[in-house]
Amino acid sequence: MKNRLKVLRAERDWSQQDLADQLGVSRQTINAIETEKYDPSLPLALKIGRLFDQCVEKIFTLDSA
Amino acid sequence: MLIPILHRKRKAAEAAARAIKEVGGTVEDTRRVYGTRLLIRGMLWGSVYLLSRGLLELAVESPPAVRVAIALLPTPFFVYYLWTWMKGVSEMDELQRRIELEALGFAFPASLVFLATLGLLDVAITLNPDDFSLRHTWLMMPMLYYVGLWRAQRRYQ
Repeated sequence: MKNRLKVLRAERDWSQQDLADQLGVSRQTINAIETEKYDPSLPLALKIGRLFDQCVEKIFTLDSA
Repeated sequence: MLIPILHRKRKAAEAAARAIKEVGGTVEDTRRVYGTRLLIRGMLWGSVYLLSRGLLELAVESPPAVRVAIALLPTPFFVYYLWTWMKGVSEMDELQRRIELEALGFAFPASLVFLATLGLLDVAITLNPDDFSLRHTWLMMPMLYYVGLWRAQRRYQ
């Protein structure tokens, strides 16, 4: 699964730690999502969408899409 | 125009991070506390285990009830250690739980293969019990868990 998390975070000038703190996860989790080594759970993806005020589909897309 | 907006958002993120820290610490803080607790309680159990081993070697002539009592001495400390571990896992975030699961997913079948192979080897050549008894082989299980943990950590770095 591909995602735009790194771009969205950079637009806001947040560090990985800032984002991790706001989502209540570790910095390692944010890094793993950004590098597409880990796909977040649905609740975490929804939290990310709410934080960036965007639909989940606009942040996360399937490789085949 | 854009710079003040980004600056405001940065300030908001910093305020949110501060608020989280004030409420109960970040996930990293929780991990650090959990790691320290696990280490201290693990060392406590390890110390009692070694004490128990030493006492058992000294009390060879003691009645079986005393020896059993000495052998069971580390068990409550291990239960305490295990409880710390389980509580720590429940406080982890989703990726850390997955890493724990992958570590155990490696350690459990690897331990099974190790013990089964050892069992067959024992039938084949009768292994020396001074080197391959239960009190030696259980050490392979935490070692395999740490190998699994290392593999899983590396995968998500």
